[in-house]
Amino acid sequence: MPEYTLLTVLAIVVVVLLDLVVVRTRLLATLGFWLALAIMWGFQIPVDGWLTRLDEAIVRYDDQHFSGVRVFLDSPIEDFGFGFAMVLATLMVWTVLARRERSSIEHAGPSAD
Amino acid sequence: MEPLRYLLVLGACLAITAPLEWVIGARVYRRPRRLALTLVIAMTPFIVWDLVGIGRGHWDFSSRYTLGIDLGGVMPLEELLFFVVIPICALLTHQAVLRLGARVWPRGRLAREAAEAGAIASLASEAEQGAPRA
Repeated sequence: MPEYTLLTVLAIVVVVLLDLVVVRTRLLATLGFWLALAIMWGFQIPVDGWLTRLDEAIVRYDDQHFSGVRVFLDSPIEDFGFGFAMVLATLMVWTVLARRERSSIEHAGPSAD
Repeated sequence: MEPLRYLLVLGACLAITAPLEWVIGARVYRRPRRLALTLVIAMTPFIVWDLVGIGRGHWDFSSRYTLGIDLGGVMPLEELLFFVVIPICALLTHQAVLRLGARVWPRGRLAREAAEAGAIASLASEAEQGAPRA
């Protein structure tokens, strides 16, 4: 399997396990996550496309290191997996920090954000 | 204009999502400490991944469409900013979805998730307990 493909699959497995099993933020079980992801994938098509479109590529991918499947504006399909992992990781860390702040506020009394 | 292209793409992402903070009230920029910590923790592995990708020749960057400021001689400044801008867009989108959902359906699933995520004060439980929150 090409390396970018392999790393993408690995990243997806890791963030999913973190969310559901290890950290238990369980964002994958929320409606809000999937709605937000759908919106972001919608925007990723033109934004990523603007970076990857083959006639004027800003980021240039070596065909032998990914599946070779390009979607929409020449974006490697792996980019959408990369995006999924990145978004889930971001929301997961934010959620953990928010919970931690809230529990420390509940213990220590009111304070600012 | 061509060397500014990557930077302009990122700027457009920030511009398009800005109303989520200032109109819908996502409260992401207004939590700078939590935001900074989130970016450092969540993006470090992806920046490492990017560096591995660059190092192993998975991708590279057009010098025509970037500023030419390469951090450590390998990563264009814009690419590092990508790992600041895109997660901010993600947080704004998620918080906005929760807040809007809670506003439209105050007793719906998104309202419950918004309250759990701290995106809104707990509206439903306030209504049930009659206990207003500051």
